[in-house]
Amino acid sequence: MKSKLLAFALAAGLAISAASAQTLTVATAGDQNMVDYIKDYLGPMFEKANPGVKVVAVGTGPGDGGSQKIYEKLDAQKKAGAAKVDFDVIVVHQKMAGTLASESLLDKYRERIATGTLVTRETADNSLGANVSGYVMPMFHSQTAIAYNADLVKDVPNSYTELAEWVKKNPKKFGYNGIKGGMSGVAFVSGWVTAFGGDAGKLEKGPYDAATKANWDKALGDLKAFNTNVVITPGNAGTLDMLNRGEIAMGPVWVDMFYSWMAEGKLPPNMKLKLVSPGMPGQPMYYAVPAKAAEAKLAEKFIALATSPEVQAEGIVKRFNWYPGIDAKNLQGKLSEGDWKKLFTDITPEDLAKNGKPFPIAPYFNDILEGYEKKVAN
Amino acid sequence: MTQKKIGLLLLLPALLMVLVLFLFPLGISMHAAFTDKQGVLTFEHFIKAQSLYSTDMMFTLFITLTASVLVCLCSLVLSGLMGLSESRFLVASLKWLYRWPLFIPFIVAAQCMRTFLAKNGLMNNSFVALGLYEPASSISFLDWRGIIITFVWKQTPFVTLMLAGAVASLDRSMIEAARNLGASRLRVMVEIIIPQVMPVLMVGLILSFVTMMSVLSVPMMVAGSQPTLLTVDMAFRINSYGDYPTANALGVISYCMTSLVAWFYLRQQMRDHAHQPM
Repeated sequence: MKSKLLAFALAAGLAISAASAQTLTVATAGDQNMVDYIKDYLGPMFEKANPGVKVVAVGTGPGDGGSQKIYEKLDAQKKAGAAKVDFDVIVVHQKMAGTLASESLLDKYRERIATGTLVTRETADNSLGANVSGYVMPMFHSQTAIAYNADLVKDVPNSYTELAEWVKKNPKKFGYNGIKGGMSGVAFVSGWVTAFGGDAGKLEKGPYDAATKANWDKALGDLKAFNTNVVITPGNAGTLDMLNRGEIAMGPVWVDMFYSWMAEGKLPPNMKLKLVSPGMPGQPMYYAVPAKAAEAKLAEKFIALATSPEVQAEGIVKRFNWYPGIDAKNLQGKLSEGDWKKLFTDITPEDLAKNGKPFPIAPYFNDILEGYEKKVAN
Repeated sequence: MTQKKIGLLLLLPALLMVLVLFLFPLGISMHAAFTDKQGVLTFEHFIKAQSLYSTDMMFTLFITLTASVLVCLCSLVLSGLMGLSESRFLVASLKWLYRWPLFIPFIVAAQCMRTFLAKNGLMNNSFVALGLYEPASSISFLDWRGIIITFVWKQTPFVTLMLAGAVASLDRSMIEAARNLGASRLRVMVEIIIPQVMPVLMVGLILSFVTMMSVLSVPMMVAGSQPTLLTVDMAFRINSYGDYPTANALGVISYCMTSLVAWFYLRQQMRDHAHQPM
């Protein structure tokens, strides 16, 4: 009798909690700042506008590995024939967005939300060579650059070639995180191969030719020699940390993380950024809604809020120092001149247009990473 | 029911656990390491693992073996001191101190070492403050040395715990007789104690070798990613590429390394038992 009562009470409790609260699960790849953005800023704002809704942010880890975990979960649930999947909104890197879209794991939601027309940039439709039109909204764009301590580095390198020279003259003063500890190191390596491997245009636009990687042997060999004079740091944040402690004087970083750390006083004030030629990669992160999301309508509402000009201005640009995901002209009047200019303190819009590059298309990208493991790290 | 049957019945749950939670997954990962997508026998995953991570394989062996040797030396010194020293104060304080690292998880130890061993970390800063060298000549230990230091710090107490117990349970009369006949403490240690506690020492070292082979947090946090231990490579293959076959191949290679050590030990045991009937 007692156990029956207990079961009844439990069932009633469950029914009540299901009726009174909707939970929106947002899974995000990337560093801790991505989780913080959802948990501390966007989530509470959405909960306030939609009483009874609870936003749960799940961080799946930095780099492509974070996106890979989201993919594996969705893929496994699809293969198991699940009626509803566990994530409602996902935030993924470019490489995985293409895979997700081509394997029909995503919902084509963009034309259904009001902010869908606010983005015209190429990356909203084309993700490293894969067509993702309609499936994604860019959350923000970010860019990698070389951070350096202006007190310690007087002859700032302007290009990869000059950087290689500088490192030879100043051994163990440059540090990056290899390719296993986050995307800033991946971006540095990808920029190196694009700079020295020849035919940069083909890497960015395709078509893919499996024989191309044979031309990179010299570039990768040089990178191996270069690595003997650098420090390998434990991650994106690890590089910034070592810059802060003065253990290295220079290293590739994400621009947004750099400005955030500067604003929090976690870096010396004399740190500066340089976007070296012929260019370093940047990327957007994408908002997407998985196919069969349990709260698909709510998810669309969430992304519409996240990509509204107000949130893009206040949250993305002002608080987290990212470049906006939607077209910049939509932010006019939402931001003070000062807040907008802050994004371009060290890297001017002209630098960005000239040296801000996309990552290579996915198959070349994979070849570069495997080539690095085979010929540089091993 | 006979006693034998009851014994078997009692053993069954444990046996099932081993079967379901260890042997079954082991079989699956072995199978995945040796077959391609169609299920045909192949060595391609091993060839790939070799072409990407041969340096890391040597690195892993070097780190774990070096750390094991150092753990061996440190735990011998510690248990010897605790067993033979005549200073009660020393013995008591050693006994109180040496177990601490046992209660600290690897990941916490790694985090502590990160701040301790860094270029501007506690260790270098202390030496600089003592005037031993200039700040500019301080070096960071956050590389292979950091991994070894963390492993030795973490595993020495474990082996010492086993060893000190073995030393304490030895027949004191033999040690005292040797001391009375004028043998130094070092000689007593080397000629009387070590041969008798050798089996315990070996078990302790093999267990800590296997533990060190499986630690992911320490190489990830203490050192950069190249070269690194096989655990990090396995995690990377799975997390970044969903590449389970290569990760499984790396797992099989780790198994081989540990079974090699276990085999040496077993062979030694068999020989010893053959010489002295139980």
